[in-house]
Amino acid sequence: MRPEFTLHDLLDNSVERDPDGVAIVDGNTEYTYGAMDRQSNALCAALGEAGVKKGDRVGVYMEKSWEAIVAMLAASRAGAAYVNINPLFKAPQVAYIAQDCDVRVVIGDSAKLDELEAGTLSRTAFYKGDPPREEAAGSLVNLAEVLGSGDAPKETRQVSEVDLGTILYTSGSTGMPKGVATSQRNIVAGAQIVSTYLNNTKEDRILSALPLNFDAGMSQFTTALRVGATLVLQRSRLPGDLIRGLRRHGITGLTGVPPLWALLLRSAKSIEEEPLEDLRYIANTGGRIPQANLDELRRLLEPAGTKIYLMYGLTEAFRSTYLPPEEVQRGSTCIGKAIPDTEILVINKDGQECAPGEVGELVHRGPTVAMGYWGKQEATRRAYRTNPVAPPELLDVERVVYSGDLVRRDEEGFLYFIGREDAMIKTQGYRLSPEEVESLLVGSEAVREACAFGVEDPEVGYHVYAVVSLKDGEDESSVETIREYVVKNGPPYMVPREIFVQHELPKTGSGKIDRKGLSDAFASR
Amino acid sequence: MEIDTENASTEIRGWLRENVTGGRDVPDDELLIENGVLTSLQTVELVMFMEDRFGIVVEDEELNEETFGSIRSIAELVASKTG
Repeated sequence: MRPEFTLHDLLDNSVERDPDGVAIVDGNTEYTYGAMDRQSNALCAALGEAGVKKGDRVGVYMEKSWEAIVAMLAASRAGAAYVNINPLFKAPQVAYIAQDCDVRVVIGDSAKLDELEAGTLSRTAFYKGDPPREEAAGSLVNLAEVLGSGDAPKETRQVSEVDLGTILYTSGSTGMPKGVATSQRNIVAGAQIVSTYLNNTKEDRILSALPLNFDAGMSQFTTALRVGATLVLQRSRLPGDLIRGLRRHGITGLTGVPPLWALLLRSAKSIEEEPLEDLRYIANTGGRIPQANLDELRRLLEPAGTKIYLMYGLTEAFRSTYLPPEEVQRGSTCIGKAIPDTEILVINKDGQECAPGEVGELVHRGPTVAMGYWGKQEATRRAYRTNPVAPPELLDVERVVYSGDLVRRDEEGFLYFIGREDAMIKTQGYRLSPEEVESLLVGSEAVREACAFGVEDPEVGYHVYAVVSLKDGEDESSVETIREYVVKNGPPYMVPREIFVQHELPKTGSGKIDRKGLSDAFASR
Repeated sequence: MEIDTENASTEIRGWLRENVTGGRDVPDDELLIENGVLTSLQTVELVMFMEDRFGIVVEDEELNEETFGSIRSIAELVASKTG
């Protein structure tokens, strides 16, 4: 075993342990750790030929697949940072990310590359599938040919744990999405920590049902990689496919967000008739699971020996807390205690640690605290601050993450999620800022002004609602055109469930649209 | 209305245009789940639409990527339940 400094160190160890071990199952094909090693080396060599230098950003814009996994490892070997772009994203969101972090080279599905505006990608695109149209990128390379070439990089570059490993795009309470710059150290520490408390081993068969651009989805890959387990890629989350995937592959571990459990519970009858004997654990993240669904999961899964973990994490620090399965009766608002090697502080408005029972902001310190937001100094300063409990002699040394999430800690040290004070919308496990939805709506020709907000729903967290005012000459019938525009230009979870029209949107004293007032007025409609 | 694969396809195509693709017409054989056109939650909403529109019941086991693989396969499911 080598010391674990980088993502590709984790791969090297697993190859050494068992090169013939199955690393990835994608559809009907199994790929070994040996193949992962060879193909990521070949792609690393091709990235070098395409001019990718250490520190460059490499975009991955494809459905979850073997190639997407190899792409991350190839970028890591090259000392570049991979940027997993949500495959649900449409042209405007991809253009934003490509511009924001200056993506040099992209590895993508041809069908997706075809949908991008010409000029979005000025450099090389490695495509999977039939060749995309020529304007899709500066130059085009067939990914399958590269992966099968057997090439290896001529020179290997030293990559250190303090190098940028990946940028995870996420939304906050305001503005457009921000890229959380995550170091190799953050990635490796996350894999060590999570695989420790989930007790992952080489024998595990983990079902990857979450997207790889999401921290918890990436974490399933990195933990599997670290212990040499098998990761089964599951694209369809339809109830029939989920239950079939779990059974067919003898899945031992599954992490999901609340809507996934609602889909799994549709197979309750099947699980009652034939319990999931192999399933060692499930873990929830990305929002509070409705208590009724948690109770139902316990009833169906616990008798067969499945353990239920409730986890909490924020992309800015990868993962933060978990509730051990023995404590799950504490209920779905409990987020447990700090993950290993991590300290969670609850800080009040005066910057002091809260007393038990007192509500304060969750503050995370530990090795998964990311480097900051890419290219956003002001936002970085707000979220990544100095450690409030550091001794004065070390005051300006360590950075911790202020989460914006309000929690309280009970006498026994268990943390409970209370909520947020800002306008961030949590929907289907995704974070969304109202401005993102508003900017998408205003992009439609009929809209003059737009206001978006979240309306609470037990199943998905929040539904997105919007109120718009229309340009002259437009009438109520424009709503259909607006909806069509939004559906075409944004991912499904960004599409408002309701779009209301109002002649004029009310403003606050400072002249901003009165989101709070509109939200109160329209939430119950 | 007599429901066959022909008019079921038309209805489903219309629903997809309105709720999923934003005006783009989806070819009857395009792979919906495999290519990420349709998310799981959207598929569940499509099922609710179909149950309402065609008066059918779709079992949860039928909610899988073969049956919901393309407009053609979904229309065949509808026709088999109404025929």
